[in-house]
Amino acid sequence: MTSVLPVWWDGPADGPTNMAADELLADEALRRCSPVVRVYGWTEPTVSLGAFQPLADAMGCEAIAGLPLVRRPSGGGAILHGTDLTYAVAVPKAHPWGQTPQVLYDAMHETMAATLRDLGIAARLHAPSGDDPPATVFLCFRRRSPGDLVAAMPGRPPQADDPKVMGSAQRRLGSAVVQHGSLLLGPNTAVGPEARDGGLAAVDSAGRRWASGELASSWLERVAARLGARLAPQGHPVGEPPLGGLAERSRHFASAAWTGRR
Amino acid sequence: MAAELRFAKSHEWVRPEASGLATVGISAYAVEALTDLVFMQLPPVGKKVKAGESIGEIESVKAVSDLYAPVSGEIVEVNTALPGALETLGTDPYGAGWIVRIKPDDASEMAKLLDQSAYDALVKS
Repeated sequence: MTSVLPVWWDGPADGPTNMAADELLADEALRRCSPVVRVYGWTEPTVSLGAFQPLADAMGCEAIAGLPLVRRPSGGGAILHGTDLTYAVAVPKAHPWGQTPQVLYDAMHETMAATLRDLGIAARLHAPSGDDPPATVFLCFRRRSPGDLVAAMPGRPPQADDPKVMGSAQRRLGSAVVQHGSLLLGPNTAVGPEARDGGLAAVDSAGRRWASGELASSWLERVAARLGARLAPQGHPVGEPPLGGLAERSRHFASAAWTGRR
Repeated sequence: MAAELRFAKSHEWVRPEASGLATVGISAYAVEALTDLVFMQLPPVGKKVKAGESIGEIESVKAVSDLYAPVSGEIVEVNTALPGALETLGTDPYGAGWIVRIKPDDASEMAKLLDQSAYDALVKS
């Protein structure tokens, strides 16, 4: 039984720093032999590209022109950060949550679905259908894969085209797995309307203004409970001592070679 | 499945060929666990690798995973048809789904890998 779930409540950072910190999280999971979580923000609206998305696709998307761009080590579609709850979880591959991709995906999404349902949002895990958009669609929130979190529109029964509100993607390293994810809280006005999705704001009949802090706490309490653990907030940002190495890793994620790898 | 296959704990298989080369792929278990595959990046021919080093990456709808060299040596052949036909990894993982051929530095390295029964036990654990 895992006795604690360490969680870093990191403040906002730029894209390369956030990607580097998430990678360091894998080292931390291996050091502790247990899952670890990081919740973080962005210093400015930023586009994160999936590991193999063609850079030309981003350059050709007028709605995101001019925004900072960073390439994730994980897969999936492009995410427009700034009005979302962004998290990373790292798990040793030897842990039951690290052995196959779907287990970790479901663990994080099922707990979020339960958290949102308690708050009156009709959230559920997406079941695949023949009408799902292809996995090559540029924007993450326009894609659908099994286990994505979707929510019914207010006053409407669940339907196949209900909007996606949360997606995640993994990087499976030699001994650990890092999973990034994003819960869209509301529309991101930094991007053009054609790339803007409504997130929780669009599926909330109460019209609440969503913020990440309290919601993330409630969610992570459920994640910890599922592990049979208690949350253990960490007193320093990821990448500061004793972890270290953040600046060097950030340079990799800021490099043109990494961003333009495809 | 052929009895001569050996497996790395990272789910790559390797088959020694009569030519002295080692053919490498990924196991049916790994392909199934990754779910729908969408992209694959292969190494260049001529690349020298050490056992355990990354030789490429594969992306599914959920995850990007490194592919690791199960033995040290030089990559002498790459299955260039594979990125355009990723379904082959699922339909024929130990045949047409081969990924690279390596000229091993030391063929005895393969004996250190798992045999079929040991690999089956690993994935069931």
